[in-house]
Amino acid sequence: MSMTMSRGGRWAAIAGLGVAAALSLSACAPPGSSTEEPTTPSEENATGTLKVGFLSPTSGNFAIAGQEMLDGWNLYWEENGDEAGGVTVETIAEDDAGNPETALTKAHKLVEQDGVDIVVGPLIASTASAVAQYTAPLGIPNLHPVAASNDMTQQNWNEFTVRVGSMGGTQSTYPGGVWAATEGGYKKAVTLCHDYSFGWESCAGFVQGFVENGGEIVQQIWAPNTTTDWAGYASQVAAADADIIFVATAGGAPGPGFLTSYLDLGQPIDKLMLNCCAADQGTLRAMGDRIIGLKSVSYWAEGRDDPATKEFVDSYIAKTGEVPGAYIAGGYMTAALLAQVLDEKGLVTGSDLVDAITSYTFEDSIFGKVSWDEYNNTIMPVFVREVEKGEDGLLYNVPIAEYDDVDQWLGKGAPADVTAIVPYDQTHQGL
Amino acid sequence: MSNPATRVTPVVRPSTGLIPAGVPGSGGGFWRSRWMQVAGLALVFVVGLLLPYLGTNSFTVSLTSTILIAAILASSVNFLVGEGGMASLGHGAIAGAAAYGAGWASKQGWDVGMQVVVALAVTLVVSFVYAVLSMRTSGIYFLMVTLAVGMLIFGLASKYSTVTNGDTGISNVARPEFLSEYWTYYYFVFGAFVVATAVLWVVRQSPFGASLRGIRDSESRMRSLGYSVAWYKVGAFMISGVIAGLAGLLSVWHTHFVSPTSTGVERSVLLIVMVILGGIGTTMGPLIGATVVILIENVLSSYVDRWQLILGLVFILVILFARAGVAGSIAKLVRRIRRRRGSAPPGGPSGPEDAAEAVLSNHPA
Repeated sequence: MSMTMSRGGRWAAIAGLGVAAALSLSACAPPGSSTEEPTTPSEENATGTLKVGFLSPTSGNFAIAGQEMLDGWNLYWEENGDEAGGVTVETIAEDDAGNPETALTKAHKLVEQDGVDIVVGPLIASTASAVAQYTAPLGIPNLHPVAASNDMTQQNWNEFTVRVGSMGGTQSTYPGGVWAATEGGYKKAVTLCHDYSFGWESCAGFVQGFVENGGEIVQQIWAPNTTTDWAGYASQVAAADADIIFVATAGGAPGPGFLTSYLDLGQPIDKLMLNCCAADQGTLRAMGDRIIGLKSVSYWAEGRDDPATKEFVDSYIAKTGEVPGAYIAGGYMTAALLAQVLDEKGLVTGSDLVDAITSYTFEDSIFGKVSWDEYNNTIMPVFVREVEKGEDGLLYNVPIAEYDDVDQWLGKGAPADVTAIVPYDQTHQGL
Repeated sequence: MSNPATRVTPVVRPSTGLIPAGVPGSGGGFWRSRWMQVAGLALVFVVGLLLPYLGTNSFTVSLTSTILIAAILASSVNFLVGEGGMASLGHGAIAGAAAYGAGWASKQGWDVGMQVVVALAVTLVVSFVYAVLSMRTSGIYFLMVTLAVGMLIFGLASKYSTVTNGDTGISNVARPEFLSEYWTYYYFVFGAFVVATAVLWVVRQSPFGASLRGIRDSESRMRSLGYSVAWYKVGAFMISGVIAGLAGLLSVWHTHFVSPTSTGVERSVLLIVMVILGGIGTTMGPLIGATVVILIENVLSSYVDRWQLILGLVFILVILFARAGVAGSIAKLVRRIRRRRGSAPPGGPSGPEDAAEAVLSNHPA
């Protein structure tokens, strides 16, 4: 029996190899493979419909942020109708679960099966770069409502990927460092940031702004992005010989987690400065009145005295009873911008749509005046904000300082070769 | 150990009771009428071969490539767990490391040949580290060692950003010119799947495979018979690791992209889920498991928000009611029908069920 078996085994192996060889030789193009090449569909253009594929993580670790960015996008079309400049905007939303491979498969599905004209999203840095390197060679515009990784509009930039509703991590915290060292009058800072790309980049912005204006960084502490117990970190930053503590985390649980530990130590709130996401609305709702007076730096300020911002915030409150945070604002902004551009230019797709966006100046957006640089990144205001209680009893981040036209080169101009930029990490903070 | 393989052959006769007679690939064949199995395989083969011509669009075809790549990776896990009783939580990281090897080579501007060389080198080194660290462990300890090394690789991928680009990952990894079309690449992946499955099948039939099953069922007995158990395990791990590395290379060529997520523990856990869903130790189990998981993850999730719940439910139901997995349960069903007709061979416990049992209950050494 053993003889027959091993002979059978050998036979199967030879057959398998033979078949594999035959396959690689005999394969010829399946019918229609060339016509199925994904291109910008021209049929849809004629009927005046812009098909949008919306990728965001509505399940998994980033589900709340992902759902919020989708909610913001949907809110705009619900309020204003899904038509702009005679163009009907049709959205097909897909869940990428925060996983690059899933995001990429879903992008394939949206482009090749649903025939979308543009892709909006996704959220996480790795999913964003996975999708961008697929959509860009096909000439499909990829708009980003929330993604904050620097390299998207630096080392890995491409003509078709546009950051629309957010900023690079470094860009958005740089003015915080500037403000702390100048107007704030702080001399020594300790930083606590998440120990991965987003944290490194966010810390780098604050550190550079602070040091360039005469401040001193006494210590930089890094917390793994899986940190749930912040007590140790809170006492470390409290013990540091510094008069300001800069904290940058991703959105969600880390913000309230750190603040609870820090405040439980009896430490003063006015020594803190947080980033966009650590002090986003979710944190404000979770912490309540304890954090009134908390300072943070972000491109989004829901308590800003501006008609466009107010209109958006009020309508979101009317709908949900909550104040919208940065992710919702990013989704809304992306929709509003697309509507503006379609209104002005009619139906445009591909590079025409990208050109229309990046050459546009959105004067009265919910973020203020927004324009785009040559690497498709936003140039817009950054606010130093303080938590205040509104007349409606809700907590708002209200601007106490505004830096206009902040670009990703931190006022130093683009380097000659953006692809040569060394990414930030623990030891390389741009100093 | 001049040639222990020849010595082992008489030891693992089913009659010795060392391994259950019906274990798939142990020589008995789990479907007595072999032609049914062959017919099943042939059907899968023909459908696979004709897929791009069956009116499918490019998305369906590339999704099938994804499934086949996952199936290759699951096969590598299946081999180790089914034959050696070693449930690994590190194979996602091996595949990820291979993908990073190719990605890094591509980042240096090297050509495709160098990508393959670097990916292979990384695979061999990483697999060897895994194998050596885990060679003297079994059961839960083996699981923990592979988990730990996997997390180490994940840590390197996400923290060593000058080499790996951190969380952003390495993108635009080019695959060979002649495979640039989605359908040529599909055939390449399909061929790789056939070859990988055939290779594992041959290893399973070999005396080496028999010795592995001996070790799975009673390590102490095999040791007392003079087998170098630890080195058999290293050998098994290297074979499995190379297949996993192949899957990693195919995956980075498929997506042109690799990020720390590919090396994460979640990936490895999903592989175990695929193997158990399909049926531990079965030839077609990994393909079935990979198909179910990938379709739920990528297709069902377009229609159902709580798709992870469904994946969990399917998994629980399989564990509760079909412990031998899909492929194993079908085999069981066929056997039962045949027995009822009175044509079944006498005796012989159910194969895949026992393989699953042995693994799931951390078989006694």
